[in-house]
Amino acid sequence: MTEFDVSADVEAVVEDRDIPEDLREDVYRVVEERSLSVEAADEIAKAVENRYRETRVEPLDPVGTVSAQSIGEPGTQLTMNTFHYAGVAEIDVTQGLPRLIELVDARKTPDTPMMTIYLEDEYAESRERAHEVVWQLEATKILALGDVSTNVADMNVSIDLNPDTLQERWPTVADTGEIAGEIAEIIEDSLGVTTIQKGTNVQFGPEEPSYRDLLQLVEELREITFKGIEEISRVVIRKEDVETPEDEEREEFVLYTEGSSFGDALEIEGVDASRSSCNNIHEIHRTLGIEAARETIIEETNDTLKEQGLDNVNVRHLMLVADMMTNRGEIESIGRHGISGSKESVLARAAFEVTVNHLLDAAIHGEVDDLNGVTENVIVGKPIKLGTGDVDLRMGSLSKSGEQAD
Amino acid sequence: MPGKQRYNRYEKARILGARALQVSYGAPVLIETDQTEPILIAAEEYDAGALPFTVRRGRGDE
Repeated sequence: MTEFDVSADVEAVVEDRDIPEDLREDVYRVVEERSLSVEAADEIAKAVENRYRETRVEPLDPVGTVSAQSIGEPGTQLTMNTFHYAGVAEIDVTQGLPRLIELVDARKTPDTPMMTIYLEDEYAESRERAHEVVWQLEATKILALGDVSTNVADMNVSIDLNPDTLQERWPTVADTGEIAGEIAEIIEDSLGVTTIQKGTNVQFGPEEPSYRDLLQLVEELREITFKGIEEISRVVIRKEDVETPEDEEREEFVLYTEGSSFGDALEIEGVDASRSSCNNIHEIHRTLGIEAARETIIEETNDTLKEQGLDNVNVRHLMLVADMMTNRGEIESIGRHGISGSKESVLARAAFEVTVNHLLDAAIHGEVDDLNGVTENVIVGKPIKLGTGDVDLRMGSLSKSGEQAD
Repeated sequence: MPGKQRYNRYEKARILGARALQVSYGAPVLIETDQTEPILIAAEEYDAGALPFTVRRGRGDE
């Protein structure tokens, strides 16, 4: 069962204890290192079990309040500046408090969307192959492909495509004329004009001679995405040491994108969908589902805190937040528009914001408050259902053996 | 063992509080003790396992 070299007896006594898997492995490790007897192993396992029980969260603990404080306190130490470069070279990523707020508010699009794209084996090892993926990702506009000149006398626009650039960005097509043809077709489709193509030169003009239409066409031409994903404005390639699933380190190329479109990116050949990720939790939710979104919320909040040197926040607090945000099957924000705003109790909502409106609405609709939550009970002066307040104590003992002292 | 219940700190506090209140109102003390403070008497009774309380736990915990 275990990878450590311990006797079956040791394994039996340790398995018997109610402790989690990773702690159990730790026990085996110690037993192996010091070649301990079965009795000693049992003693250790017992001590570990006791300690583990003591450190567990007890029933009736106010875990939400503890989490709020445990995230809130380090939160006061976060930077309030919006921009700062992250570990990634040259890409600006929102950091610190604004990023944390963004995550907890579940914004539809983050301030600085980005993706981290890992590549499949053959693409990850060579810079050329990695570049092929880059051209599939990065949005290519006309200005990157060649020179555009406007001829007012002949009422036409002339594009001189750069053959080297074409060859580089369309590595699968050998003939540059063919690529230029493709480009001309895209122009025809999106602008509704007829084009004349000669080699790598493409010309077109407005149907009726009109100075304004001509300029309009040039404007629109600049907006067309010829290749890649519209949302992705820039891609940075970095060579990084990555740990493989077999626990080995190896160097591979990793892509960082400015702008994101996670679903589209995963479709591209060479992209390793199992490792790639995105900092927009809604895109993750749409493409990979709610569990992945939960995981991403935990990762992103944890990384945001870590980046500022606050890595001593227990993940369980972040997990609780992520669970609360996702447990209805879709991402909900914390705060007025999300979880706090959808509370059942009138009094709890009234205590939170716009008191009079809530009370008035509740009165008009004849709402009933069952006084189940904490806030309501504080308002009416009853014990709250937490800690000592939620112990249901009865007189009389059910058994004759009496109580056990702690 | 049947009836053997481990109380957590909230349950213990609740039990001690309830018992101390009874003692302060003049309930007969269930053990021999030198203590005079109701809460300390309650604590000794708790340690001796003499208190006739049951904690009902609604959710399926240990």
